[in-house]
Amino acid sequence: MTTTTQKKSIWDRLEAVPREALYALLLIFFIIPMVNPIGFPVPISDEVRRWYNTIDALPSGSAIMIDFGYSGGGEPELGPMAVAVYHHIFSRKAGLKAICMSTSIEGPLLWDKAMAEVNPSRYGANYGKDYIHIGYISGGEIAMASIGKDLRAAVSTDYKGVSLDTFSIMQGIANAGSFQLLICYTTGGDQSEGWVRQWYTPYKTPYLCSVLAMMVPTMLPYQKAGQIISVTSGAQAGQMEVLVKVPARGIKSADVITMTHLLVVGFIVLGNIAYYAKKFSGGSK
Amino acid sequence: MEFAELLQIWFAALFTVWIYSIAFRDNLFFKFAEHTFVGAAAGHSIVYGVDNVRRLGWTPLVQGQLIYLVAFILGIMLYTRYHSQHFWISRFPVSVMAGVGLGLSLRATVTSEFIAQILSTAQMKVLGVSPWCAGLYNLLFIVITVTVVYYFVFTFPRIHAGRLNWISRIARYGMMAAFGYSFANTILSRFQMIFGRLDFLMNSWLPLSGAVIALPIVLVLLAYAMIPASRRPWPKQLAATPSDD
Repeated sequence: MTTTTQKKSIWDRLEAVPREALYALLLIFFIIPMVNPIGFPVPISDEVRRWYNTIDALPSGSAIMIDFGYSGGGEPELGPMAVAVYHHIFSRKAGLKAICMSTSIEGPLLWDKAMAEVNPSRYGANYGKDYIHIGYISGGEIAMASIGKDLRAAVSTDYKGVSLDTFSIMQGIANAGSFQLLICYTTGGDQSEGWVRQWYTPYKTPYLCSVLAMMVPTMLPYQKAGQIISVTSGAQAGQMEVLVKVPARGIKSADVITMTHLLVVGFIVLGNIAYYAKKFSGGSK
Repeated sequence: MEFAELLQIWFAALFTVWIYSIAFRDNLFFKFAEHTFVGAAAGHSIVYGVDNVRRLGWTPLVQGQLIYLVAFILGIMLYTRYHSQHFWISRFPVSVMAGVGLGLSLRATVTSEFIAQILSTAQMKVLGVSPWCAGLYNLLFIVITVTVVYYFVFTFPRIHAGRLNWISRIARYGMMAAFGYSFANTILSRFQMIFGRLDFLMNSWLPLSGAVIALPIVLVLLAYAMIPASRRPWPKQLAATPSDD
C-alpha cells in the first residue's frame, strides 16, 4: 500500500484554520476595545433621530404604550435601547405617561432590570403616576387586539396584582384610542408585525419599533410604507444615548462592535482571496 | 451588596462561561448549564402561566364575570388530549384558538401586508427626486420587487428559460443581496449578545472579591473537561443511560 502526501499550499491551510483559533481571535478583538476604549465616532442615523423627534414632539400628558416584548437572550441588544428611551421619556418636562405591558414571558423581569438602570426617581417620576407595568399578557396578537379594544376588560391589575383603579396614571386609559404612541421592543417577528396588524391598521396609532438587528430587514417594508415611524435595531442604542446625553452600555458596545466587524471583514476578504487563488491555480473545482 | 444578589451574579457568570465554552468544544460543564437553563426556563414559564391564569382569568371570574367560565372550561378540555379515549374533546378548544387567532390576523393582513406595501412601492418616484441617488435607489427597489415577484411565478415554467432568463437572474441577485444584508445583521445581533455577557463578566463579576481567582480555576476545569474521555484519567466515561442503547 502506498501513501502519497501532497504538500498543502498556504491557501489550503488558510481555509482549514480551526474554528477554535478564529473564536479565540474574535474574543481578543472583543476584549481589547473593552479594556482600552478607542472612541470611534457614533454618527446619528435618520431612524434614531426620527425616533427621538417623535417622542420629543408628543404633547404634555400623552400616553405611550410600551411593549417590553424581548427575551433574556435579546437583553444585551434591546435593553440599552429601552433604557435610553425611558431616560428620554422621563426627562421630558411636560410629563408623559409610560404604560408598559409584555408580550414576552420574561418581559416583567427585564423591565424591572431596566428600571433599576434608569432610576426614575432621579427625574422625580413615580410608579403608578408617571409609569406602570400592567404585566405579561399571553396570547400574542390576541392580547394586542383585546388591549386595543378594551384594556380594562383584558387586564385589571398591574404586574404585581394591584388593581389598576388604584393608579392615577390609568385614569382615562380605556383602549388604543387613549394612546398617542406605541413603542415595541421585541425579539419576535410575531410581535413587531402583530402591532402593525392590531394597532396601527385599525387605530392608526403612531408606532416606533426596536428589534434585533437580524429582524430589521423584515421590518423595513413597514417603515417604507409609513406604517412604522422608525425601525431601529438595539445595536443603535449608542446613538440614542448620545441624543439623550446618558452614555451607558450602548456607547460602550459601539467600539467593540466596530472592531469585531472589521475582523469579520478581514476574514471574508482572506477567505475570498484563498478561494480565488486556489481557483486560478487549478486547485478548486 | 445583598447575599442573594451576590449569588445571582456568581451563578450568572459561571453559567455564561460554561455556555460559551461550546464554541471551543463540547464538555460536561456546557451540558450542565444547558440542561439547567432548559429546566429553569420551563419552571419560569409554568410560574408565569399559573400567574396569568390567576390574574387574567380567576380574579375576574370570582369578581362576577361569569364569561371567564367558558375560557376555563375550554382550557380544561385541552388536557383531555392526554386521555387515550377522550382525546378528541381537545380538538374543540384547539379549533377555537385557531379560529380566533386566524380571524384576528386576517382582519388586517390584507390591508397592512398587501395593499399598504403595494401602494408604497407604486408611489415611489424615480425622476425629480432629490438627492439623485434616492431616485436610483427607488428604481433599484422597483426593479428588484418586480423581478422577484416574477421569479416566484411557477405556473408557467417557460418564462424562466431562454431569452427571459435574465429577469430571474436579476431577481436572484436581488434576493442574494437581501440574504446577505440579513446575515450581516444576524452577526451584529450575535456580537451584541456576546458583548453583553462579556461586559457583565468584566464589570459585574470580576470586580467581586474572589472572582479573579475563580476565573482561571474555571477555565482550567473547562479545558480539562474538553479533553476526550478516553484520554483523561477521570472521569473516563459517563454511565450510559437506557436511551443511549
